Amino acid sequence: MTLLAASALSGGYGGAEVVREVDLAVAEGDCVAVLGPNGAGKSTLLRLLAGILPATSGAVELRGRPLAAWRRREVAQAVGFVPQNVSFAFPLTVAEVAQQGRAPHLGPWRPPSPRDHAAVAAALERVGLAGREGAAVQRLSGGERQLVLLARALASEPRVLLLDEPATALDVRHQLDLVAILRELTAKGVGAVVVVHDWNFALRVANRVAVLHGGRLRAVGTPEEVLRPELFRAVFGVDVELVERPGDVPFVVPRA
Amino acid sequence: MRRAADVTLVLVLLLACAAALLAGGPAATPADALAALAGGGTPEARIVVFGLRLPRLLLGIGVGAALALAGAALQSLLGNPLADPFLLGISGGGAAAATAAFALLPVAALGLVPAAAMAGAAGATALVWWMARGPLGPSSTRMILAGVAVNAAASAAILTILSVAPSPRLPGALAVTMGSLASANGAAVAWLAPYLFVPAFVLLLHGRDLGLLATGEESAAALGVEVGTVRRRVFLAAAALSGGAVAFAGVIGFVGLVTPHLCRMVWGQSTRRLLPRAALAGAALMVLGDLVARRAVAPAELPVGVVTALLGVPFFVVLLRRTP
Repeated sequence: MTLLAASALSGGYGGAEVVREVDLAVAEGDCVAVLGPNGAGKSTLLRLLAGILPATSGAVELRGRPLAAWRRREVAQAVGFVPQNVSFAFPLTVAEVAQQGRAPHLGPWRPPSPRDHAAVAAALERVGLAGREGAAVQRLSGGERQLVLLARALASEPRVLLLDEPATALDVRHQLDLVAILRELTAKGVGAVVVVHDWNFALRVANRVAVLHGGRLRAVGTPEEVLRPELFRAVFGVDVELVERPGDVPFVVPRA
Repeated sequence: MRRAADVTLVLVLLLACAAALLAGGPAATPADALAALAGGGTPEARIVVFGLRLPRLLLGIGVGAALALAGAALQSLLGNPLADPFLLGISGGGAAAATAAFALLPVAALGLVPAAAMAGAAGATALVWWMARGPLGPSSTRMILAGVAVNAAASAAILTILSVAPSPRLPGALAVTMGSLASANGAAVAWLAPYLFVPAFVLLLHGRDLGLLATGEESAAALGVEVGTVRRRVFLAAAALSGGAVAFAGVIGFVGLVTPHLCRMVWGQSTRRLLPRAALAGAALMVLGDLVARRAVAPAELPVGVVTALLGVPFFVVLLRRTP
């Protein structure tokens, strides 16, 4: 079943269109990797899909209904968003940030129930931050902060997860953990869209790859369909070598 | 720990209220005041307690709670620990209008000073909001910059008015800039209470949203906050609270800025938990501050803003040093 679908989606900031006429669908169990050069509109596409940024034309549908027809809180219950970075003006603890993920389920007055606390604890456990609940987020490293934001999104138990470069500050161990987390979620029917720069990371997690260039979708399909040296040359201006590995996805090596 | 802090807060507020009603000069000594509260006492003591001290106490509670709530909400809304009704120019706009009214209005019309202060605060709010709107919509940074500019203009206006105001009007105009609860009366309190209630309710309703907004608008929107609506409501509610406070008590700094931080250090960062406690703590700080302002150099009075700063700063310094 299609969870989230963009059709002829365009949007940007202050009248300038950054994303143009993108068609993209995320079904249950899909993990779509969005790749493209800097400034191609990847983060903007993610914001449009999350409904944080209103589309200038086209539409995003959540379970067949336009995002605009849902209440913001209902969207947040179904769609988890992991931003690249968040500015922490106040000394929040790891637990306080993760608990924010339950907000869409709580409304203005209701205090968190044991069920909410359990979801938060499970999310922190899953990203490896169990035992760090009381740590001040402001003091964490960039990678640990990314894990806290991931935990916050997991705590909301979304049907669709949108991640904006979630792996950039992670060490190799945590990158592999993230791959495992995304595979677990998609195995349970969650749909995911992950913006990444690392092709090899994308090929590990994604069953579909979308390439953005100048705000337009340049290619979308299975990794095998999209992974062509001509595309790299056209979009990134680099030559790559695809190192085939029996029984595994190929490895992308750029040539200097 | 939090429960104990809650109980302590309520006890401090109640004790402060009792002290504000009982402590005073020879017109109503603590024993006289107690007798008056019990339904007896001299007519003179009853007038002092019910006609002067009680309205002043209630005004102090309202103003302290309003400033602290507005400060806590603005800090979260703008994701800036420095935000308060001052920084955003709201108090400044109210004070400029109130000093102008004091200096220029005929004596018979001086009852309009609170209305002028409200209008000034509303005007400053509108100006800040308008300036903060960039091509991408209002942003927190622009809002703070706009507030700083409006504040500077308000300060310049106040200084100009004070330097040209006729000398009989100077004390009243100066009192606005220094903050005082001395003008409290039953009518002012009866008027202010319902006026403060609605915006206070709006802020409490958005407590959880404000907590999410403190980590950025994009992040809050992703967690279900209708950012545009909440920002508009919270800003207007905070401005209304600050305007009401300036109208009846003049400019009282520090309470709006520091009370929320004191509470954050004790109760943590959850804005939903923070807002009601900040309101109670602001009320307690203001009542205690006014008590000291009234009694420290009796029969003269200190500006209450000076006292709240002197009372709050040491607490704040100790807590700041202790917080990890």
